[in-house]
Amino acid sequence: MNLQEFLAMEETRDRERDELIDLRGLDLISEYDSHLMCPICHCPFVEPVRLQCDHVFCASCLSSAITTFRSADSEEFPCPSCRNPVQTVSANVPRLLINMCDEIRVRCPLIAEGCEEIIPRGHVQSHVEKYCGYRLVPCPDASCDQVTRSKDVGMDQKCIHTVRRCSRCEGDVLEQEYEEHEKELCPVLEVTCSDCQTVLSRGALAEHVETCTEVAIPCAASKYACPVKIRRADIATHEQSCPLVATGPYFEAQNARLNSLELSVRHLQQRNEIFEDGIANIRSTLGESARIAASAHGGAQATQTGREQQATRAESNTDDPADIAASIFSSNATTYLLSLHESLREEVSQLSHAITDLDARASMAIMNESMRIKEDMAHTNAALNSVRMQVQWLINPRLHQGTRGAVRTNTSNEEPSAAGPSQSSAQSLGHLRPRRSSDSGREGTKL
Amino acid sequence: MFATKRLSKMQEHLPPGIAIVKSDNLEEWQMDIKVLDENPLYLNQTYRLKFTFNNKYPIEPPEVQFIESPASSGTPRSIPMHPHIYSNGIICLDLLGSAGWSPVQTVESVCMSLQSMLTANTRDERPAGDKEFIATNRRRIRDIKFVYEDDDV
Repeated sequence: MNLQEFLAMEETRDRERDELIDLRGLDLISEYDSHLMCPICHCPFVEPVRLQCDHVFCASCLSSAITTFRSADSEEFPCPSCRNPVQTVSANVPRLLINMCDEIRVRCPLIAEGCEEIIPRGHVQSHVEKYCGYRLVPCPDASCDQVTRSKDVGMDQKCIHTVRRCSRCEGDVLEQEYEEHEKELCPVLEVTCSDCQTVLSRGALAEHVETCTEVAIPCAASKYACPVKIRRADIATHEQSCPLVATGPYFEAQNARLNSLELSVRHLQQRNEIFEDGIANIRSTLGESARIAASAHGGAQATQTGREQQATRAESNTDDPADIAASIFSSNATTYLLSLHESLREEVSQLSHAITDLDARASMAIMNESMRIKEDMAHTNAALNSVRMQVQWLINPRLHQGTRGAVRTNTSNEEPSAAGPSQSSAQSLGHLRPRRSSDSGREGTKL
Repeated sequence: MFATKRLSKMQEHLPPGIAIVKSDNLEEWQMDIKVLDENPLYLNQTYRLKFTFNNKYPIEPPEVQFIESPASSGTPRSIPMHPHIYSNGIICLDLLGSAGWSPVQTVESVCMSLQSMLTANTRDERPAGDKEFIATNRRRIRDIKFVYEDDDV
């Protein structure tokens, strides 16, 4: 199928997935081959699909990758693994691969409810839906709105959330806990103390253990490593002779002292850090001021002094802090000058770039302008030519008329009807012609 | 969604020269990387990377940049010199942009790409316009429009 079909299919399947168990969130028990891992989600494949280039991904991983990486509605998409363009997605993945993924052992997702079953991943859905006894189902009694584990719903389908009164201790117990309560927890039940063998009720046991003389308890100095743990009856005699009990108060005082010392050390460390920061600040401002001074004195001098200072340092090689500071300043000054030089050089190269750019642009502009002017001139020439032609044309009939007029004066009174139309036609021609040629001239200039 | 598992799975076996510094949450990780060969620019140096993931990882790329760490912290870290690494740690690398990213990549693979990017470099310099970039850039790394001009470094 092509990408569009695949995305449409994934969209419908996505809605179904909301009701299914998220296989990626499962707790995997068995080791699995790293080739079964989807390179996008790094989990064993879930509904794997295959691309033309033979790379396999989970269907949902691939669809989210396609929607993100495909350029708007194109037919192609680069494979996330090899970046080859891909047009089709195939759901036809070897059965072997799917089986291997489904075989991976996982813990039942209802472990929080108490299910400790370990099942193949392919069976998780059916296990949770049908077989897991820890799945929560609504209470079979329609009037009760609580949920219960499916294994607790007995054959009789009765509600186990009703309160029942214990026949012995008169306490209120939930129906679902009643059995356990009756057998083990009811405070009226009789138990024996494991140390002194006294038989007493469960409710009183805790109180009895606190006072029972037979119960073994640790020495009071156990926190100072006294290993003794004996019957309560004998502990008093031990504590009188135990050296650790005697030194107990001393230890306690020492502990308190240690604590307070630790606290003050931490405090001092903090202060030390603050001071160190301050010193670093001062040092940097000093360095800067030296740099400013150096730049004010001019580069050559500064480098010279720097060299001198370096030389003196090499000679004396003392640990005098002032000397070290001076050498730091001088080296700062030289590095500053070097950087200044570097930045100037950069600026110069930038400027030369800009200049060549400008040059190119100016010559381009000039060329454009001259071309236009040349064209204009050609047009003007054409117009001029047409005007000249027009003028010549105008002059021609005039000359013609002049010669004819001379002839006509002789015969004017004889043939007025013949001269009239010829004159008017010449006049009308004279009106028409110039206009047309001037029109063409104007057209020429327009072009 | 599934990024959680994917991130937490990595910690077991790391390639040489790569170490996790901080991975206690799933928004930000820090990694230390070393250049393994004899490149004199990065000899015996360790650099720290900060990965910031959003909730769409691995479909969308993480934000990755070098970070500095002062000497007083016990692990001094600097920003490596490279013509594609700005002095504030921002890296110009196509596979970290949304166009070059592929969801198949991992924190490990990104670290290894950066290792090889450093290994191959011989130029002890910052990108052109480094100072202006640092002074003016207030955008998030994701939104910067890089032009990937040379492919040889």
